[in-house]
Amino acid sequence: MRSRDIISSLFWAAMGIGICCGGYELGLGNLHNPGGGFIFFWVGVIMIGLSFGILARAVRQKAIAGEMKAVWTGISFKKIVSVLAVLFIYAYLLTPLGFIPATILLLIFLFKAVEPQRWSWAILGAVASTLAAYSVFQLWLQCQLPPGLLGS
Amino acid sequence: MDLLNYLGIGFSVALQPENLLYCFVGVFIGTLIGVLPGIGPVGAMSLLLPSTFKATPEAAIIMLAGIYYGAMYGGSTTSILVNIPGEAASVVTCLDGYQMARQGRAGPALGISAIGSFIAGSISILGLTLLAPPLARFALEFGPPEYFTLMVLGLTILIYLAHGSMAKALITAAFGIVLGLIGLDTITARPRFTFGRMELLDGVGLVPIVMGIFGVSEVLLNIEQVVRRDILKTTIKGLLPTARDWKDSKGPIARGSLIGFFLGVLPGGGAVISSFLSYALEKKLSKNPERFGKGAVEGVAGPEAANNAATGGAFIPLMTLGIPPNVVMAMLLGAFMIHGVTPGPLMMKQNPQLFWGVIVSMYIGNFMLLILNLPLIGIWVQILKVPYKILFPLILLFCLIGVYSVNNSVFDIYAMLIFGIVGYLMKKFDYEGAPLVLAFVLGPMMENNLRKSLIMSQGDFSIFFTRPLAAVSLVIALILLISPFIPWFRKKREEIPKEEAA
Repeated sequence: MRSRDIISSLFWAAMGIGICCGGYELGLGNLHNPGGGFIFFWVGVIMIGLSFGILARAVRQKAIAGEMKAVWTGISFKKIVSVLAVLFIYAYLLTPLGFIPATILLLIFLFKAVEPQRWSWAILGAVASTLAAYSVFQLWLQCQLPPGLLGS
Repeated sequence: MDLLNYLGIGFSVALQPENLLYCFVGVFIGTLIGVLPGIGPVGAMSLLLPSTFKATPEAAIIMLAGIYYGAMYGGSTTSILVNIPGEAASVVTCLDGYQMARQGRAGPALGISAIGSFIAGSISILGLTLLAPPLARFALEFGPPEYFTLMVLGLTILIYLAHGSMAKALITAAFGIVLGLIGLDTITARPRFTFGRMELLDGVGLVPIVMGIFGVSEVLLNIEQVVRRDILKTTIKGLLPTARDWKDSKGPIARGSLIGFFLGVLPGGGAVISSFLSYALEKKLSKNPERFGKGAVEGVAGPEAANNAATGGAFIPLMTLGIPPNVVMAMLLGAFMIHGVTPGPLMMKQNPQLFWGVIVSMYIGNFMLLILNLPLIGIWVQILKVPYKILFPLILLFCLIGVYSVNNSVFDIYAMLIFGIVGYLMKKFDYEGAPLVLAFVLGPMMENNLRKSLIMSQGDFSIFFTRPLAAVSLVIALILLISPFIPWFRKKREEIPKEEAA
């Protein structure tokens, strides 16, 4: 836990400092009439204090050889990064392409990405799932899904 | 007499065909997500929240509540048949439930689990029916100092009961408060931490945060390693427990119901903790504790009763005080707000149809669940066989549609993905998501009540110590916060994760 706690505590300390500065800029007001930055400032102070507490405890612990490596061992980063990247691309293309084309492309990728399946199955599954989701959310529940290329 | 009148109102609402349909859909989806790994009741509720926009507030809340208590029923099925809990609250059911299934007693295990859940669910709804009205009347006397300190206490208990380091839980709660306060200042209307983005003026949405931390991050964790699910190849027969099973189970069900109900009222995973406590208690009371872990029916009946009873208890703080005790209730609070209803002490008077309609629908929902989980158990077993490689793209698709539909905003999808990464990293670095989400919901209410209290007292902090309830809440919160420095408290707190790990 040592390395993870050191890294995370430093992250939270930086975050706390940022929040404190932001809160101070917003104005602390006074106790009779607390300003918009009052809570931010004090929550930031608490975060800094806690992060140093976590850091101090982690530093006192004995180092465990290969701890960070153990946490990430056996993990397929390629899968995680590719799935996340495609989801961000999907969000970017959703409005210009429209729900149906963008979702079919997304699902084909997802069906093929993690544990690859036959192309025919991936395409058929993607089209069927997209049309089913479109029928339920757009046609039945009347959500406003982006029409994109298929829109009038 | 009043109570009977109110129950009459409740039945007239809950028995309307539309509300019956929504109740059925809720408990059905609840059971489904309880059975399926990778999506919990919080994710499912945020997913289906947009679908309730066109419904009446009664129908919407009835359905969302059904998802919550339905998930508790479904969670036990995977614990018993696959040895993988569908829900955190069903972890302990694996210990004896799976062993019973291996001994060819899957039927009685599923049966006692469903029947015990039904009895406990009914007892907890009865408790909710009887306790909510007097508590709501009492809460009418609360002012901003009481609300502020009660929220501090609620958050502190959640942090105290969090797994692992309290400092870590506190820091995520602090981050949650900051996230909750992003947007326009409610008093000065000045933008705070919006970084010039128009989309942030209304604040960060609850749905993108919840879907990110509990939906997307779970999918990422599940796809990083292939988890094998071996469904026990056994014929499920004789769902009705034997006379011996009944004899052994009636005590655990009764005790589990009481533990679950009262722990459910407390903030912080009442269902999870009550199931572990019930298991530990039954093992301690048993004349043959060595049977536990080897297929003891009491080890299924008690915890399953406890986790279902906890769902009823959890409604009490939300419906009577407007304070959500856990993440699911925070989600439900969001749903109430979207439908223009403010839960709290006035809800029973201002919206009796909604208040009693929801409570009565839970009685009806419990009957539906009994039917769904006994004669129709075969359906859920078939669903268990759907491989994750097919399931996860569909979960992600529903997350994407659900989060987009709330505001028709692509920005919310980006927010959800970012919180998905945040949630994934939090799990890798041993931080819990629940304190963050609850603090996110409570943050704005806490700030509002703190500022109102200080304006009331002209900046005098003693207002929190001169009013009895506020003082008691703050003192308890303070004791819990300093408890890690007291050896006896620290030892007690460390026993919880140890029991869970065991």
